[in-house]
Amino acid sequence: MIRIRGLKKWFKTRHGQVEALRGIDLEVGEREFFVLLGPSGCGKTTTLRCVAGLERADQGEIEVGGTTVSSPEKGIYVPTEKRDIGMVFQSYAIWPHMNVFQNVAFPLIKGRRQIPRHQVAEKVSQALKLVQLGGLEDRPATDLSGGQQQRVAMARAVVTEPTILLMDEPLSNLDARLREQMRLELRKITRSIGVTTLYVTHDQAEALSLGDRVCVMNEGEILQIGSPQEVYSRPQNLFVAQFVGEMNFIRGRLSGDGQVESPFGKVRCALPQGCQRGSEVTLAIRPEHLTLQPRAAAGAACVEAKVLTKNYLGDAALLEVDACGVNLRVKLAGDAAFAVGEKAVLVLPPDRWSVYA
Amino acid sequence: MKAIAVNGALARALDFRNYGVNFFAGALLALLTILVGAPVLMVMLMSLRTGFPGEGGPLTLTNFVQAYTDPGTYEILLNTILFATGTVTVTLLFAVPLVWLLMRTDMPLKGTVYVLMTVGILIPVFLRTIAWILLLSPRIGLVNQWARQIFGMEQPLVSLYNIPGMAFIQGVSFVPAAFFMLAAAYRTMDPALEEAAYTSGVSKLQTFLRINIPITLPAIAGVMVYLFMTAIAVFEVPAIVGLPARILVLSSLVYTSTNPPTGLPNYGLAGAYGGIMLAAGLILAYFYVRLVRQGKKYTVITGRGYRPREIALGKWKWSALAFAMLYLSMEVFIPFLVLVWTSLLPHLRLPSMEALSSVTLKNYVTIMDYAGTRPFINTAVLMFGVPSVTMLVSVLVSWVVIRTHVSFRGILDTMAFLPHALPSILLAVGLAYLGLAYRNVFPVYGTIFIIVIAHTINWIAYGTRTTNSVMIQVHRELEEAGKVSGASTPRVLGRIVLPLVAAGVFNSWIWVSMLSYREVTMALTLYSRKNVVISTVVWQFWGNGWVPEVAALGVILIAFALIVVGALKLGFSRLGEYGSGS
Ligand SMILES: Nc1ncnc2c1ncn2[C@@H]1O[C@H](COP(=O)(O)OP(=O)(O)OP(=O)(O)O)[C@@H](O)[C@H]1O
Ligand SMILES: [Mg+2]
Repeated sequence: MIRIRGLKKWFKTRHGQVEALRGIDLEVGEREFFVLLGPSGCGKTTTLRCVAGLERADQGEIEVGGTTVSSPEKGIYVPTEKRDIGMVFQSYAIWPHMNVFQNVAFPLIKGRRQIPRHQVAEKVSQALKLVQLGGLEDRPATDLSGGQQQRVAMARAVVTEPTILLMDEPLSNLDARLREQMRLELRKITRSIGVTTLYVTHDQAEALSLGDRVCVMNEGEILQIGSPQEVYSRPQNLFVAQFVGEMNFIRGRLSGDGQVESPFGKVRCALPQGCQRGSEVTLAIRPEHLTLQPRAAAGAACVEAKVLTKNYLGDAALLEVDACGVNLRVKLAGDAAFAVGEKAVLVLPPDRWSVYA
Repeated sequence: MKAIAVNGALARALDFRNYGVNFFAGALLALLTILVGAPVLMVMLMSLRTGFPGEGGPLTLTNFVQAYTDPGTYEILLNTILFATGTVTVTLLFAVPLVWLLMRTDMPLKGTVYVLMTVGILIPVFLRTIAWILLLSPRIGLVNQWARQIFGMEQPLVSLYNIPGMAFIQGVSFVPAAFFMLAAAYRTMDPALEEAAYTSGVSKLQTFLRINIPITLPAIAGVMVYLFMTAIAVFEVPAIVGLPARILVLSSLVYTSTNPPTGLPNYGLAGAYGGIMLAAGLILAYFYVRLVRQGKKYTVITGRGYRPREIALGKWKWSALAFAMLYLSMEVFIPFLVLVWTSLLPHLRLPSMEALSSVTLKNYVTIMDYAGTRPFINTAVLMFGVPSVTMLVSVLVSWVVIRTHVSFRGILDTMAFLPHALPSILLAVGLAYLGLAYRNVFPVYGTIFIIVIAHTINWIAYGTRTTNSVMIQVHRELEEAGKVSGASTPRVLGRIVLPLVAAGVFNSWIWVSMLSYREVTMALTLYSRKNVVISTVVWQFWGNGWVPEVAALGVILIAFALIVVGALKLGFSRLGEYGSGS
C-alpha cells in the first residue's frame, strides 16, 4: 500500500527553480496495479523516484506499507536501501560485470532481506522461471538482448518479494510486438506474486490495458484518477479527454434551457457545474461513437455529412467527414463501404457527448 | 561476361574520386609512418652502432652487452619501476576521490575546483618541482630553514631528494590528466546501475564496493596503465630531483648518456637503454587499448532517463571541500606562492618583516638582460607552428579514419596513436641522432624547426583523439548532402566538414599550443644556442643556481598561460575537457 499526501518537489537548475510536482495526492491499495500516465515532463518519474527515495521530496508525506518513509515537515527520510521496494528502470540497469544469476542473486546476498546462502540458488531460479529465463543463469549480462535484459530486471526487482514494485516505462525500449507480449506477461507476473505496483508510462494504450486504476498527470498535478473505463469514458476535463484516446472537439455555447448550441443544432447533455448561461463550452465525442448511415433513420439525431478522407486500418477505417462545416473523425468497422466524396448521414448519439467549460 | 566484369572492376579501380581519396590516404599514411617511424628507427640504429652519429661502422650488439651486463642498470630499472608505481599510487589516491566528489556529489565550489584543476595543467611540471624543492630541499628549503630556526634542528625535517619525494611531485602533477580521463569514462556510465542497487536494499558502502568499483575498474585500470606508461617516460622530475640526488631512472639515464656532464655523448648506449623503454611503452599501450575497449562494453549509453543525481554529502560537505583544497594547494597554490615569494627577494629566505622590507621587482627587470629576445621569438614560433601543423594533420587523418571507407584506415589510426607509446625523450634523442648523422637529408639540427617537428609528432596522438571524437559528432548526412549536391571531395572537406568541426579543433589547437609552450624535455634534448625557448632558459637558470631569476621567469611563464587560456575560456566554456591528453 502506498499513500502520498501533498507531495511537492522543486528542482534547482541554472535557470531557476522548476516546480516538478505541485501537490500530489494518491493512494494505491493492497495488490493494486496503479498506473501514472501523462505527457513527457509531467512529473511521473519524479513521483516514482520520490516513492523510491531516489529523490528527496520538498513537501508532503509518503507512506509505504503503513510506515511513513518521507516527510520533510517531520524530518523523516528513510533512505532508498531501507525501503521495502523493488524497482525496474527504464534502462534496465543490469549490472554489466555480473552474469544473469549474480544480477538476480545480489539483492538476496547483499540486500535488505538477506537469506541463508543455500536458499539463494533456489530463489533465483524461481524468479528466473517466473520471467521465463530459466537456464540462462550463466549468461554474461553484456550478451543479453533487450527483451532478456528487461526480464532480468524484472526478476531482480521481485526476487526479494518486496511489498511494492516500482516500474518506470519498463517497456519503452522494446520494439512494438515484444512490448505487447511483455505487457501481458507483466500483468501475469504481478498478479501471481500479488505485489502492489506503481507503474509509469506515457503510452495510453499501455496504461488502459495494464492498470487496475489509472492516474492522469500533467504539469506536476493529478487531473484524474479512476479505473481505465472511467478515465476513458468519462474524462473529467479537456486535457484528459484529448490525452487518453481519440476525441472530436466542437465549440459550442450554453443556451438558456440547459442545452448546448452547436453547429449541429441544440445538443442535450449533462453539463459541467458552475457554467454560466451563454458561456463558451467545448463538446467532445469519440470517433467510435459516431456512425455513418446511407440515409436518415427515424428517432436518431442525424446531420448530413460528406466523406473527406478515408484511412483504412484493416480491422477499422478512420474517416474524416465534413458535417455542418465541422471536420469530424469517425471510426467505423474496416469493411464499411463509404468512399471518399460520398454523401451520407452522420448519427450523433445524444448520450455520448461530454461537455467541458 | 568475364570481360565485362573485369572492365567493371577496372573502371572502379580507376574511378578518379576513389582513386583520389585512396591516394590521399596513402600519402597521409606515408607521412605518419615517416614521422613516427624515423625517430624509432634512429633509436634502433644508434643502439646498434658505436661512435659518433654519422660515423657509420658495422652494426654490433656491443651497446646492449655493455648496458645489460652492468648491475647498475638493474638498479636503475628497479628505481624506474618504484618511481612509476609510486607516482600512479599518489595520482589515483587524489584523482579517484576527486572524480567522485566532482561528478556525483553536492560538494560546494565544484566549478572553482574544476577550473583550478585546469590551471594545474598549465603550471609546467618542472616549475612545480622547482617550487617544491625551494620548499623542501634539505639545505635551502623554506620548511627546513624554518625547522632549524624554530626547533634548532640539525638534521633537515623533510627531504624531497628520494624516490617517494619524486613520486609525490610527479603523482600530484598527473592528477588533472587522470581526473579528466576518468571523468570522461564516468560520464558515460548509467547512474541507474547504482540506483538499482539501492532499490534492491544494498547499502551505500556495499554499492560502492560491489557496483561502482567493479564497473569503473576497466576505466581505472586503463588510466593506471596510461599513467604508468607515462611515468616511465617522464623526465622533468627525475632530472631536477633525481640527478642531484644520484637517483637515476631510465629517462634520465638516456639523457645523461647523450648529454653527459663530463666526457663524450654516447648515443649507442642511450639507444640500448631506450630499447627497453620503447618495448615497455608499446606493451603498455597495447594493454591500454584493450582496457579501453573492455570499458566501452560496460557503458550503456541510454540517453533517455539519464540524469545523474547528486549525492548529498550533508555534514561531510566541508571535509570534501577541504580534501579538494588540500590537493589544489599541492598542485597550484603552494607552488605558485613559493615562486612568487622567491621571485620578489634577492635570495631565498623565510617570510618575515625584514624579508618583506627587501621585496623588489628587480628580478623581473633583469631577466631580459640574461635571456635576450631569442627565447621569446622561438617560443612564439612553437606556439603557432606546432598546433597548426598538428591540428592540420589530425583533421586530415581523422577525416580519413572516421569518414571514408579506405581499407587501411585502421592502420592509419593506430599509426597516429603510436606517439602515445613513444617516450618523448626517445623521440627527441632519435630526432637528434637523425639530424646529426644525416645532416644533408635532414638539415634542421640545432634550429627551432627540429623542436617543432618533435612536438608535432608527440601531440599528433592527442590531436587525432580529439579530432576523431569531434568528427564523429558531425553527422555523416551533412557531408553526404554536400556530395549529392555535386561538390568535390576537397570542397566538401573545406566548406562543410571544417566549419562544423572548427570549434572543437580550435579548442585542441589552444591546448597543443599551451602544451608546447610549457614543454621542456624535448626542447632540452634538442637544445642548441640558436633554438633556446623560454622553458629551456628557466632550466639553464636553475642549473646556474639563479634561483630568484628562475622564480621570476616561472611566474611570468605561468601568468602568461593563465591570461591566454583565461581570456579564451570566456568564449569556450568546455576548454577544460580537452586537457586530458597532456
Ligand atoms: N534532476 C533534475 N533537474 C532539473 N529538473 C528536473 C530534474 N528531474 C526532473 N526535472 C524536471 O521536472 C519535470 C518532471 O520531470 P519527470 O522526469 O518527472 O518527467 P516525466 O513525466 O517522467 O517525463 P518523461 O515521460 O519524459 O520521462 C520536468 O520538467 C523536468 O525537466
Ligand atoms: Mg520519465
